[in-house]
Amino acid sequence: MKRAKTLLVSVLLAASVLGATAQGALAYRADVWSNSNSFSSRCLGFTDTYPQQLYSLARSQMIALGYSPVGGAVGSSFTRSAFISGVLPDWGVYVHTHGDNYWASSGYPNIDSAVLQDPGTSRCSVFSTDAIRSSTIKSATAGAPYNLVIMSTCRLGSSSSTMPGAFQIEKVKNSTQREFYLGYVNLTYDSAQLRFEQAFWSYLNATDTFLGIRRSVYEAFTYATGIGGYAAPDSGNPFQANWWGNPNYNGTPG
Amino acid sequence: MSAAALVKATRTMTVAGAVVLGLAVSAGQLTAASLTAGGTDTAQVQAARAGQPVTTGTVLYADSSPAVFARAASARDAFGFPAGVKRTGRHVHDGFQRSEYDEVSEVDAAGRSVSTIQLDGDGRVLAAIRFDPDSSEFPKTTSDGAAESAERGLTASGVRPGGQPTTETNSSSGGWDVHWRRTEGGYAVRGDEVRVHVRHDGRIGSVARIEHRLAAAPARRLNQSEARQAVTRQMNAWFSGRGSGYDVQGMDLQWVDANAAFDPSKLGAAPQPYRLAWVANVKPSGPAAESVRLITLYVDAGDGTVIGGDVVE
Repeated sequence: MKRAKTLLVSVLLAASVLGATAQGALAYRADVWSNSNSFSSRCLGFTDTYPQQLYSLARSQMIALGYSPVGGAVGSSFTRSAFISGVLPDWGVYVHTHGDNYWASSGYPNIDSAVLQDPGTSRCSVFSTDAIRSSTIKSATAGAPYNLVIMSTCRLGSSSSTMPGAFQIEKVKNSTQREFYLGYVNLTYDSAQLRFEQAFWSYLNATDTFLGIRRSVYEAFTYATGIGGYAAPDSGNPFQANWWGNPNYNGTPG
Repeated sequence: MSAAALVKATRTMTVAGAVVLGLAVSAGQLTAASLTAGGTDTAQVQAARAGQPVTTGTVLYADSSPAVFARAASARDAFGFPAGVKRTGRHVHDGFQRSEYDEVSEVDAAGRSVSTIQLDGDGRVLAAIRFDPDSSEFPKTTSDGAAESAERGLTASGVRPGGQPTTETNSSSGGWDVHWRRTEGGYAVRGDEVRVHVRHDGRIGSVARIEHRLAAAPARRLNQSEARQAVTRQMNAWFSGRGSGYDVQGMDLQWVDANAAFDPSKLGAAPQPYRLAWVANVKPSGPAAESVRLITLYVDAGDGTVIGGDVVE
């Protein structure tokens, strides 16, 4: 706390000395991460084209929504250390990779959700090496609030996911905070994620042009869900996206 | 100030300070005036959007497009959607879904859309979605009741799906999803369906009709054994020397969208009619299974080439 206060004062002082005003220049950082090397020709024999598509889409749309600067990476720079060291200043976080709800030896409900970092160009994914656990993320986020968190992975939108809590987002649908968490409930095809996220982003960011006010993230979620047409791996894994947070929040940072 | 609020303020000001410092250093190249509220540089947005699809629209007015507004109102009433204090219309070119449609939204007094109806060029419903929250806490209908509610709404709106519906519980929003999955010539059309979401209280939440053009079926079709050989050849080629194994879990004929899932050179290609293909679900084992749960291959039913597929990461 003392360090944070000192930093705050220092930054304000620096801005004052420069004679510049921060008005209109407040920056709300976001990170967009996508694991591509796990799904590369080197590891699978073919190049899965979805990680790059989803990364490019999310990055452009986060910027359009007002997050700036937008960091993160697709590929080798998506490491656990880069993610963890960069997450605290973030207001928005997007991750596309392999994710799941893993067993944890302690702590109710004995689940510690995780995503896999990009393994880099010299090896392929190994869970024990590459997992970024929600408990680790929660330590790094240090109780700070987050606006928009999207886990473009399997299962981190299920009721057992502990990932929302890593960003202090309670699993309720009537929050009054400026927060929204989006994830998928079941095993989910990449094509379904791309279709859903294209519809989600296009609805959310079309607002200014057509209605003159920003639509809510919940409306964008409802729209993307409502258009249907999502392929599913099997009947036990129907396509279902899920959200928690504030139904009236419009997705803008701050 | 609470600890969390202080952290929040510090995060913002830290970056804002960096921006201010950056502006001072690069004076003459970038001014604060070029930043919009929220800190986004217009040029940055444009650069980020370069190469990305865009959705554009032209305004429709009830006076000049009465048939569109009348059809939308009819669908709204058939589905039991709320009316707004005013309606807005537009013709949309949806660069993401690569489609065009007319869209009429019911707008409340606060300017928010309470429901939207999308119509194709023939006035048929493509999608209908209501946005007001589902206020019911407990189910007021059953799975069968949901299917009946969905059928009633579709009949009233003139949407006539074929076949029998399947109903799934929706664990996210509550209620049920009722699907009429499209088949053609006895084979499923992958992703095509009429889907109705029925809320807890039995009211319709959304309707979607997805229907793609189909190519002619090949005159000669690979049998399942031949198709399996094609899958095996492809998987062996992909996994050779990588220490991973696989198991072909199931195969059936479906109409599919030949896509760029495994071939970056096909990204951005113009949409083509769906083709008849053998769809094989392949479960990896060994190292590949650490990151990929399922690989789905589309094998052209006529010539046996892999024309696309899907991945569950």
